[in-house]
Amino acid sequence: MSNTQALSTADKWFRAYQALDQTADPGWMQSLRENAAKQLSVNGLPHRKIEEWKYTPLRRLENLELQTRNQREIPPVDTQFPAAIAEPSALVIDISDGSLQSRQETPDGLTINSLAGGLGKYEDRLRSLCEATDLSGPGRAFAALNTAFLDQGLLIHAGAGVKAGSILIRWAFSPAEAARLDNFRVFVLLDAGAELAVIEQFESTVGTENALNVISQVELGKGAALEHVRVQLESDRCSLLTSTSIRQAADSRYTYSGFDLGGGLVRHEIDASLTGPGAHAEIRGAFVLDGSRYVDNHVSVDHVSAGCTSQQFFRGVLGGRSRGVFNGRALIRAGADGSVVKQSNANLLLSGLAEMDTKPELEIYADEVEASHGATVGQLDEAAVFYLRTRGLSDAQARRMLTAAFCHAVTDQLENRTLADRLSVLLDEAMPDEPPETGRED
Amino acid sequence: MLEIKNLHATVGGKPILKGLNLKVSDGEVHAIMGPNGAGKSTLGNVIAGRDGYDVTAGEVLYKGADLLQLEPEERACEGIFLAFQYPVEIPGVNNTYFLRAALNAQRKYRGEPELDSMQFLKLVREKLHILHISDDLMHRAVNEGFSGGEKKRNEIFQMAVLEPSLAILDETDSGLDIDALRLVAEGVNRLRSEDRSIIVVTHYQRLLDHIVPDVVHVLADGKIVASGDADLALKLEEKGYTWLEQGGIQPLNEEARV
Repeated sequence: MSNTQALSTADKWFRAYQALDQTADPGWMQSLRENAAKQLSVNGLPHRKIEEWKYTPLRRLENLELQTRNQREIPPVDTQFPAAIAEPSALVIDISDGSLQSRQETPDGLTINSLAGGLGKYEDRLRSLCEATDLSGPGRAFAALNTAFLDQGLLIHAGAGVKAGSILIRWAFSPAEAARLDNFRVFVLLDAGAELAVIEQFESTVGTENALNVISQVELGKGAALEHVRVQLESDRCSLLTSTSIRQAADSRYTYSGFDLGGGLVRHEIDASLTGPGAHAEIRGAFVLDGSRYVDNHVSVDHVSAGCTSQQFFRGVLGGRSRGVFNGRALIRAGADGSVVKQSNANLLLSGLAEMDTKPELEIYADEVEASHGATVGQLDEAAVFYLRTRGLSDAQARRMLTAAFCHAVTDQLENRTLADRLSVLLDEAMPDEPPETGRED
Repeated sequence: MLEIKNLHATVGGKPILKGLNLKVSDGEVHAIMGPNGAGKSTLGNVIAGRDGYDVTAGEVLYKGADLLQLEPEERACEGIFLAFQYPVEIPGVNNTYFLRAALNAQRKYRGEPELDSMQFLKLVREKLHILHISDDLMHRAVNEGFSGGEKKRNEIFQMAVLEPSLAILDETDSGLDIDALRLVAEGVNRLRSEDRSIIVVTHYQRLLDHIVPDVVHVLADGKIVASGDADLALKLEEKGYTWLEQGGIQPLNEEARV
């Protein structure tokens, strides 16, 4: 992608910003959008010379039609939502085309609202979260885009000590002629001691070419716990860009389990900041790629306080001409003594044309830190393939079984065993059929 | 059951089997003994169809048909089972899940209905009971973290479930203490039957105290150099393999023929 093209897409988006009618919105929001739009206009889109984005094939996003509040049809019509993946007891929130569709009755202590609806009571908190979003430089262009068109959003809040159960968020698109790009923002606020599970399900019908750019901001109070699961089964022409930032107070716990089984261009940025002592972040994921699909996990954990622990654990299976990226960073600041950091990324290449770029980054400025990391890119163990074949399984069956088992290392870590079993089945189904690397004479 | 004629095979281009002849009839148990490097494990791997073991001459007939044309899984489905010297650990694959998939693949091949999980569980319980194996093995990943004895018992258990016509036990006694050896041997003995042939490949005679073979063969430098009854194994144990190399074969063969 050349610089001129990148700027022209950004310019097109800037003009769309200028056409927004913002008169009814609070002043801070208008200035926030204006600042973001300027950043976007000045910096343009990320290009291959930006280290953080050098592998991301953004060209497919350039021709999408940006949906703003001017064009958006609310409510969208005829959206088909997938069958819910979570247990029936979970509250279901449907988001179509980047706008909130349904809200259920919530138990005491749990608030679910749209961004506009939440502005009254939560305005100060939402404002400070929005203003804290890093928009500087071309690496943050999609955060700037999201902020410039800040409009549709979801607020989830659990009060102190509330055991709020599970929420399922289903993301889908309504049928439409033109491929489009939607922006959305999610706020999850858990007060001290609150507990919640949020399961996100991204699924679109085959052939859908839309893109979704989601920023999620999570605040965990002292001792709060959020279990965050993301299951992505988008069409192989869909794009999904997410940026999730988590601020964790003392003794809070955040677990992320991401399963990318579909999608054409998928990029997740997950930034956890362990600001209070004893906070724990566990960020794990599995992805299965075939064709020319792309999945990128950019994970960063910032150990600010002492005695915090974090784990990054990713498993990737790559077939066809697919490409995967794992960039796992852990920063242990001076004073964050006694931190424990574990990082592991293992990948299986099923095809000679697939490519995996894995990059662990550990920066340690504290004392008495326990840190381990490992990254591998390899092929299936042929001795194991032969073993299974001598028991009667075909070569293809044996390979699928071993490949799926490789990813089960991620589902095995889920506490919700019912969901883990369902995800294991989905993983098994997602395994690409690839001929063995070493062709036999037949 | 099995007839091997003038089998020559190479591993990585190096000749290992150099004209091996062997005939195993239905229901017979044959022991193949020999020094390290004689080609014992190569024979098992050639019969099972492992990549990298290239047959350069000779033929292997199984139930009267050419075995070497078949893929490893087709050989398994036709009733051949290799108990590995070093069973492979497969993290993430549950033992029950794996074995049911294998059995159903074989049943499907033979045109038999597949077993659902309840039917399979019933079968597994029977077999575990017969072999005196605790069902703890079934809940673990295939061979992962198993002790040497557990791995070998798991091989015999798989054999019990898959009910092969021809089983090759490749150094099943290696790495086992006396108690584990007895347990494994008892398992094998329970699986002896008129329509199942077993080839026991071993370096030591001690396994044959427990699994008494119908025929004992001595494999040296890629060929069967002597065959006899169970007493041959005892003689070999007493005199050692070096005795073979020093020309002890002739009298041995004559003795065996009596």
